[in-house]
Amino acid sequence: MTPKTAPSDLAYRIAERIKTEPPWEVAAERSTRYEVHLQGTTVELERGPITVEGYGVRLFRPRGDRIGTGFVASTDLSPKGVEAAVHEAETTSHHAEFPARSVELPSQAASGAEVAIVDPKLWADPARAVREYAEALLRPFDKKKGVVPSFGSVKATLSELTIANSSGLKVGYPSTRADLEFAVKAFGGPEGAPPGEFWATESLRRLQPETAAASVEAWCRYAADVRRASPPPSGSQAVLLPPDVLSGIILPVLGFRFTGAARLRKIAPEVGSALAAEAVTIRDEGDYPWSPGSQPYDGEGTAVRKRPVIERGKVSELLYDSLYAAAFSTRSTGNGVRRSRGPTELLGFAHPPSPGPTTLVIAPGSGGSVDELAETARDGVIVTQFGWARPDPISGTFGGEIRIGYRIRGGKVAEPVRGGTVGGTVLAPPGSPSLLADVKAIGSRASLAEELVSPPLLVRPLTVAGA
Amino acid sequence: MTGFDDHEGDLEKALARLGRRVKFAEALAQGGSGGGVNVDTRSTNVSPGPRLRGVVFRVWTGKRWAEAASSDLGAPSLDATVAHLEVEVARGAGTAPVPGASSTTKGTWTVRPKRPLSELGVDGTITLAKEILGWATAVSGIVEAQVRFNWEDDERLYLNSAGARCRQTVVRTHVAVAPIAMENGRAEYDYWIRGCCGGLEGVPGLDEPSIRATANASKELLHAKAPPAGETDVVLDESVAGLFAHESFGHGTEADQFVRDRSYLKPILGEMVGPEFLSIADDGTFPGGWGSIFCDDEGHPAQKTRLVDRGRFIGALHDRETAAQLGAQATGSTRRSDFMSRAFVRMTNTYVEPGTSSLQELLAEVKDGVLLEHGTSGIEDPLGGQMQLKVKKGRRIKNGRLTDLVGSMALSGKVLDFLKAIRGVGRDPLDSIEPGFCGKGHGDYIPVGTGGVHLLSHAIVGPA
Repeated sequence: MTPKTAPSDLAYRIAERIKTEPPWEVAAERSTRYEVHLQGTTVELERGPITVEGYGVRLFRPRGDRIGTGFVASTDLSPKGVEAAVHEAETTSHHAEFPARSVELPSQAASGAEVAIVDPKLWADPARAVREYAEALLRPFDKKKGVVPSFGSVKATLSELTIANSSGLKVGYPSTRADLEFAVKAFGGPEGAPPGEFWATESLRRLQPETAAASVEAWCRYAADVRRASPPPSGSQAVLLPPDVLSGIILPVLGFRFTGAARLRKIAPEVGSALAAEAVTIRDEGDYPWSPGSQPYDGEGTAVRKRPVIERGKVSELLYDSLYAAAFSTRSTGNGVRRSRGPTELLGFAHPPSPGPTTLVIAPGSGGSVDELAETARDGVIVTQFGWARPDPISGTFGGEIRIGYRIRGGKVAEPVRGGTVGGTVLAPPGSPSLLADVKAIGSRASLAEELVSPPLLVRPLTVAGA
Repeated sequence: MTGFDDHEGDLEKALARLGRRVKFAEALAQGGSGGGVNVDTRSTNVSPGPRLRGVVFRVWTGKRWAEAASSDLGAPSLDATVAHLEVEVARGAGTAPVPGASSTTKGTWTVRPKRPLSELGVDGTITLAKEILGWATAVSGIVEAQVRFNWEDDERLYLNSAGARCRQTVVRTHVAVAPIAMENGRAEYDYWIRGCCGGLEGVPGLDEPSIRATANASKELLHAKAPPAGETDVVLDESVAGLFAHESFGHGTEADQFVRDRSYLKPILGEMVGPEFLSIADDGTFPGGWGSIFCDDEGHPAQKTRLVDRGRFIGALHDRETAAQLGAQATGSTRRSDFMSRAFVRMTNTYVEPGTSSLQELLAEVKDGVLLEHGTSGIEDPLGGQMQLKVKKGRRIKNGRLTDLVGSMALSGKVLDFLKAIRGVGRDPLDSIEPGFCGKGHGDYIPVGTGGVHLLSHAIVGPA
């Protein structure tokens, strides 16, 4: 059991020790993680609690007609540690320059949205919850032949983020997060093909052991299909992309190009420009239930709202935090996001806010199910999993190796494909081909995949390189 | 704020308390400091980098490993962390012996840069970054450029109940320049990047001609042709060959994948897998290598491990447990991202060693193919033996001559097929290791280096 502790007030306590000139803010986090690591059907390693308490101090100082920002993150909670962090933030702010005269930080007045981001069962007993989920992942294999788990991990993080600033803001909220990794291996069988593996990764806000069996069933099917798959034919083709694949493509590109940070670097799209097919509407929804990107307040304490990003194919709005909003004399859109890829990605306090999406939601269309979209495509490829699509946020290009997918032949989902590449450009100037401009049909049902909610999209054409 | 002198006594006491309950216990205290200077045409940002530190304890319960960690190094917190582990030991105790040999290494090591960035100071670094920015943006058509200097001091103190005590401080320096060209709403960039274990002495070539050439390359990419799509002859440049080494024989020889029965390479250990002019190694002692370390996070000294020797697959990377299970020795390859992360078998600096051909000789072999340049990322497939390598750009090869510039691409293929198709390996000396970060599964990023020489083979490529 997790020790029962009072709600964290870490940022508020640190704020009381900050005697420097405004404006400043402090974001603090208390996080506890539990992990179960599997090797085959055996528990290889149990970890936890992994407890981290830390904070990030950011302040803004005038430098002529510009401002200098200073940011320091630390796990040293001692009075001397806080004093040193503030001093270092002051020092670095004197070297920094940003094209804004002043920054308006949010005050206490705004109230945050009601957002479902705490799994009560996970919060109450995380060690038990991760064990139960690991058991739920393994249970289906009692009755399976020719397919086994090769390895996996279930990691659960309980976090309490608090934010305070020199405008009197004091906000905080708890959240839960689970990161799953599970690989299944198919082998044996009459065909004597080499073993095949499907390697799934997911980030969630809650653990639902009752849904594990269905996921495992799908992963086992993919692993078995890997064994009989071969590269698709080369050429420009219709490609059907499910939400799990789209999240790895769309989030990194729109997550940068549709922000004040890209606008400052002159590489954001013009508001009003037609960059996507008319059927495409995308919103940023920080209050979308159970999304890892959702929270009541952004990383600066601004209440999140639903924001249109693309409406009927046209750019509606860019996303700003307080700093980049100040550069363009506008207001924060509640998109000051504290995260980045890398070793400290789960530690919100370790990163200064920067503008980015919370949860992007692509509106469902009228294309129906995957089978109906395949019927629309007539011929092409479904990509179920890329090796790594790794989009380039600046050029907008994306693409990678097909780890598992399926041919579409005569409007039907046909044999599995694997190997070869699919690639293109997520976003291109109006009139140029791109994934968003060449959406030909949109599925009728959206689902959550990481920080994207999307139906499957049928895109034509994308370049397929195969046999 | 790193430095564990004030806490080593408490850490030893905590470890001794655990050592009385279990057959083996270890502690890794880890802390980082460092920072970065990022300059573009609109802003200058100075980030000291997160000052994070903490400790992770690992014990063998007699049945499995168990770990707990804390960012608080004070005695009460250490006691609480140890108490959690004692409960875990009581819950899952067994009688199995500790897997593998425990390190008894003792030592203190520190990287001492010849030209540390601290000598420049923040103002000096900003001045240099702005000068570089000026070189890049002086090229017409460059609308923006990003210049980044980053440095890191990673300090680790490893202690175990067998008596090991390893203290190391690894200093890394990283410089990246990306001039961005824009035309008719399209943005493109090429980049210049260097990184090393050490200081600016490991960042050669940071001069105006190099940066202007990169800026011109960014402009040229706006007009790059589409890469080929399908099977073709490929020549990998040094950086892409390094990625190949990392994704194919690096991840494939991490022996935890052998134990999981999850490596396509396991059944062919000892066999010829490629031509006699191909050798691949992982070397945690490579001088100035971005991924170099003094000892791993189980206290085993870093070493060079030959993975492929003249075409024969001869070795794998081991931690104590895989070494014990597979009858090998630990190779100094156990690495944790930080005190919050678990230990895995990992690479350090992985590279293709020089072969016998000149670049011209390799190109002359190609009637119709493509040169892949500037590797940006890769991903492995340990069981299936596939690999994906992505590159920023390339050149078509026609009748042995380099022709049109082409845009970003991905290479896809089965490693063993790719090896069989290798027709030549470049003979230029391996004079640098490229910096990168490698994840293992979902996260757990660590600094790793890659390197290589030109390499001619055959694979599927397509736009990406």
